[in-house]
Amino acid sequence: MRAGEAIYLLARHRGDAVAVCALGMAANEWWAATKSEDSFYMHGAMGFAASFALGLALSLPQAPVWLINADGSLCMNLGCLLTEASQAARNLKHFVLDNGVYQTVGGLPMVNDGRTDYAAIARAAGFPRARTIEALAEFEWQLPAIMGEDGPALTVLRVDPEMGFLRTPPMTYEGPEMKYRFGRALERRFGIEVFGPQGY
Amino acid sequence: MDVAARIHEQLSKCGIKLAASLPDDWVAPLIERIAADNHIRHVRVAREAEAIAICSGAFFGGVRAVALMGATGLLTCTGELATLNLRHQIPVFLIVSQRGSIDDHRIYQEVQGRRTIPLLQAYDFPYHILDRPDDVSAIPDAFETCRMQKRPFVLFLTRRLVKGEATA
Repeated sequence: MRAGEAIYLLARHRGDAVAVCALGMAANEWWAATKSEDSFYMHGAMGFAASFALGLALSLPQAPVWLINADGSLCMNLGCLLTEASQAARNLKHFVLDNGVYQTVGGLPMVNDGRTDYAAIARAAGFPRARTIEALAEFEWQLPAIMGEDGPALTVLRVDPEMGFLRTPPMTYEGPEMKYRFGRALERRFGIEVFGPQGY
Repeated sequence: MDVAARIHEQLSKCGIKLAASLPDDWVAPLIERIAADNHIRHVRVAREAEAIAICSGAFFGGVRAVALMGATGLLTCTGELATLNLRHQIPVFLIVSQRGSIDDHRIYQEVQGRRTIPLLQAYDFPYHILDRPDDVSAIPDAFETCRMQKRPFVLFLTRRLVKGEATA
């Protein structure tokens, strides 16, 4: 399956989930599919979208939080699976786009050359639910069950590597603007105070 | 009241509701005090940069958070502090043992001692040093400064504060 197809299908089932996206392909495809400001798109800290999403999920237990991760980012912080399993946030779902390459920089192969079973790693780390999905039809068939289950749950989506630098362009804002758009969106939706009375 | 209890009390005054930690032996008593506090969600991490990103995510959930670690752990987080917190101006409050000071007689801490403060200065990260028990009352001001400056803020704990005067 293509990453864009998987993300568009996922986006259709999003409901009121708040998304945190790993930098690069995952963020770019989620932006292309949703144009959503109540999503946080990492521009750095590769590997740590998972930790950011966990902190958000623990702090906002009333919100479904989706982590849109990618295999390159997951491999940069595999320890996140231990922490995520230990904290057992019921409102956190973890998706991994697994294309086997560093796509955003031109499709260079990753270290493990397709040998690694991330779902098995997650189960061994303490995830009660983890699976790998190879085809779009299978993903569509499994989605209702995935949507209905509690976290921590990991779904690895095996997608085709696609060549071409920034084939799907990134979101049109960054830096502090990302912070304020995301924070204000959460304030409006959940009635929380992210920023103080003077705006910081 | 011991130092860990005083720091814990000040963190509660700040409204801290989440703490993410990876211990060294100087901050371990404080971490265990916080872990026993039912009003603070405590997250044990496997790498210090996880704590940085967890606190950053908590910021957007409207929850006040603190990351606790040793000085060596802080050095491992500089990339994430720059590309997440500096890039997006996300405040993150860190409590860190100031290892490698002249009274920290551990050879494997010496490198950190000479380079940690210059490194923070190079990144333009504000910091404050708690050296005496009375200094602990500065924690709410430090936390507010972190929020206002919208950057990582490092609160160092000295050996004298957490372990007493060195004898050898």
